[in-house]
Amino acid sequence: MTARWLPATLLGVVAIVQVALAQGGGLTPWKGGGFGMFSTLDHAAYRDLDVVIDAPARSETLEIPASLEELAARAAAYPGDALLRQLAEGVVARERRYNRPVTRVTLSVWRTEFDPLTLAATEHPLRTFVYEAR
Amino acid sequence: MIQPSQDAGSESPAIRRSLDTIPRSPHAIDPLRLVAAQPARPSWLRSAAPSHLDTALRLTAIALLLRPMGQWFVRPAILGAAALLLISPRALRMPAIWLALAFAVAVRIADDWPLADNHIYLLAYWSLAIALSLRSAKPIATLGFNSRVLIGFAFACAVLWKALLAPDFLDGRFFRVTLLTDPRFGEASMLIGGLTADQLQANRGALEPLPHGAALLTPPAVVEPPRLRQLAALSTWGILVLETTVACLMLLPSRRRVPVFRHVMLLTFCLVTYAFAPVAGFGWLLLVMGAAQTEPHERWLQRLYVIAFLIVLFYAEVPWTGLLLDFSRSS
Repeated sequence: MTARWLPATLLGVVAIVQVALAQGGGLTPWKGGGFGMFSTLDHAAYRDLDVVIDAPARSETLEIPASLEELAARAAAYPGDALLRQLAEGVVARERRYNRPVTRVTLSVWRTEFDPLTLAATEHPLRTFVYEAR
Repeated sequence: MIQPSQDAGSESPAIRRSLDTIPRSPHAIDPLRLVAAQPARPSWLRSAAPSHLDTALRLTAIALLLRPMGQWFVRPAILGAAALLLISPRALRMPAIWLALAFAVAVRIADDWPLADNHIYLLAYWSLAIALSLRSAKPIATLGFNSRVLIGFAFACAVLWKALLAPDFLDGRFFRVTLLTDPRFGEASMLIGGLTADQLQANRGALEPLPHGAALLTPPAVVEPPRLRQLAALSTWGILVLETTVACLMLLPSRRRVPVFRHVMLLTFCLVTYAFAPVAGFGWLLLVMGAAQTEPHERWLQRLYVIAFLIVLFYAEVPWTGLLLDFSRSS
């Protein structure tokens, strides 16, 4: 009897966690196993992630390189501390591989919203994360 | 003298008499008791003959092969297991292989969390359900139950998001924007919605946001022909009604005509939705789960699910909206 319900129970538990993370943690409803796909415009195509690198005599925006694309996609889909820190550490490691100074990485996740009548699109900040490089 | 019988399966009265008269040793063991004393065979080995359950299992394996998933450390295992399931009837009914598949799919989900699509989660639950069902005393009934509950819960979640949690579905924004900006729906928007290619291009530009919350004083207008608005409204409410109906039917007790309506609505959902929605993997999985709910005598229904599986394959591999669009332009 218990085993019979195991798959459905797992589905229910994962879905409850997904709703909690989406409502309180910024997880896109399309992901995480809560079956919220095709329900909202809040998904990868309408999320943006900026990376700003600071160092003495340096402050510039980084175009996400191919090697960090997956990490960036994960962080944009769920801008929680762990994934944002992982991305920031990846950015720092990459900069140092190229012998470029970096003391701080600022990550900003943006979400596009559309006006209900005119559909005019505007970006709204979802999360900003500052990582101090040591 | 004992005459040989014409029918090898039946005993002549002479044979029966001769068997009854064979003197038995008091220490001899009754052959029937010997058979009964043997350990019970696992449920997955009891029936070696092909059954309708095998159709659902094989289609699951085919779906796994059609859309390879995961990194190098899970992909070969998933593809290898799927190939083994297809070529070996014995492997097809081994719970351990399905359990391993469920584990491999779970590893694939965890590896790049949260990027996996929802049907990958459903595939993991389904593989686990197959493993548990094959170990149970009633594999067909257990798998049918799991199929109904999994589809019912998944669709209930989808309805919850669309109807209550998402802020931009019921007011039509989701499909209005998606039909204009998602390249996978562009041809359908032109074919059914009546947009021209230039209008579609201009709309995509108009819907590009300026960076960091900036906004134009007079933003460009978005062109939405009445047919496109009707298509967006029909998609919004049609999907919601279909998903709600499927969720309710799957979770209702199997009384009277409920099972028939389940099949009708699930097949309708798959054949309508996956004509446009670019997630054939989800469609195949739902059809496989629907096939697992059929009764052994419902062969026509099982064939219908196989045909629907092939139609979704056709939808995914043939750019039919583009071809129709080209045809309508040329004529």
